[in-house]
Amino acid sequence: MAKKTTKTKERRIVKRPAPAAKVAAKAPREKVAARRVDESQAVTDSARGKYVYCVIQSADSLKFGAAGIGDNGTEIHTVHYRDLAAVVSDVPLGVLDSTRENVLAHERVNEIVMRDHTVIPMSFGTIFKTRDDIVQLLRSAYDAFGDVLSKMRDKMEFGLKVLWDRDSIVKDIEDEDEGIHRLKNEIALQKGSTYFARMQYGRAIDAALQSRSERYGSEILDRLRDVAVASRINKPIGDKMIMNAAFLVSRDQEAAFDARVKSIAAEHDKLTFKYTGPWPPYNFVNIRLKLERV
Amino acid sequence: MAVERAAGGSSLIDVLDRVLDKGIVIDAWVRVSLVGIDLITVEARVVVASIDTYLKYSEAVGQSVPVARPALESRPYDELAAENQKLRAELSSAGGARRPVARRRRSGV
Repeated sequence: MAKKTTKTKERRIVKRPAPAAKVAAKAPREKVAARRVDESQAVTDSARGKYVYCVIQSADSLKFGAAGIGDNGTEIHTVHYRDLAAVVSDVPLGVLDSTRENVLAHERVNEIVMRDHTVIPMSFGTIFKTRDDIVQLLRSAYDAFGDVLSKMRDKMEFGLKVLWDRDSIVKDIEDEDEGIHRLKNEIALQKGSTYFARMQYGRAIDAALQSRSERYGSEILDRLRDVAVASRINKPIGDKMIMNAAFLVSRDQEAAFDARVKSIAAEHDKLTFKYTGPWPPYNFVNIRLKLERV
Repeated sequence: MAVERAAGGSSLIDVLDRVLDKGIVIDAWVRVSLVGIDLITVEARVVVASIDTYLKYSEAVGQSVPVARPALESRPYDELAAENQKLRAELSSAGGARRPVARRRRSGV
């Protein structure tokens, strides 16, 4: 049954504009809604929606220049409910592809707004049909947004990824760990099958790598503790990365955090540090929105 | 090593890592509904389903670093290795060599 639906979807893709088809295929249960997108696109091809970048606190209407998503950079403006504002720009109504340009424009606008405001970043690709829909969202989530904004006030996120050269660390371990050193020699000298010795060696290396990476990780975390408000540890990407962390830092501690990261990096010549920011606090806010019948 | 801070938007991977599923998130199908239907005509509205902020400082990195086999797997692995060793011992005894199991193992290894 489920397979059948997917097939029909795939066949239909040909007739459809690509972006809508992609998302529709991902959400087969919303057949009705997806079809209506097609209809509305056919009827009002030039209809404009509003793309939302982030939510900030501001009672005054603001403009942030022509930096928005779209070919010529659309004007960034705000939609208000009481003292909350959604930062938006006009886009064609439809599903937006996550192309390099679009994704980077989303981030660029957030960074511009962040210079003078505390932001709650929107995830990529949220388009509302009308200004009223946005006002309605701000109204229904007013307390939640207000609470999160006050928690994030004057704080910024920084990313820190730590990588190592696995092979050179393995060499170090072989030199420094007596047991592993002996195992390695045994394998070299042994006649016949070295299967078990090699297995044992592999496991010992794995364990040593694990404990070494944990030691580096906790040491780096400890060193940054007094200059950050919070931290989140994400899953490392690939086997060279030993730490993939995000830190929430107060604006007034930014310089101290920056200096600390640099001094930690200077002390570890075997590690590579990838240090990025400031980011909107993506890693420290998670607000899920859903549709509800009135 | 010396490290310099790179602006957020300078690495597409870092951006994608954040913007696709963090911050304020709307399900993909709701996104489609938003652009396709008048919320007023279907009498629906967008509301907050859940809200989380993470304001703690992490205590340790240990749990999430997958440079070694997950801890759960190491025990059965040890058992397997022990069993394997036992089988090999049986194999090398004269009686075992004639059993079909032994033949299969020999060609397999």
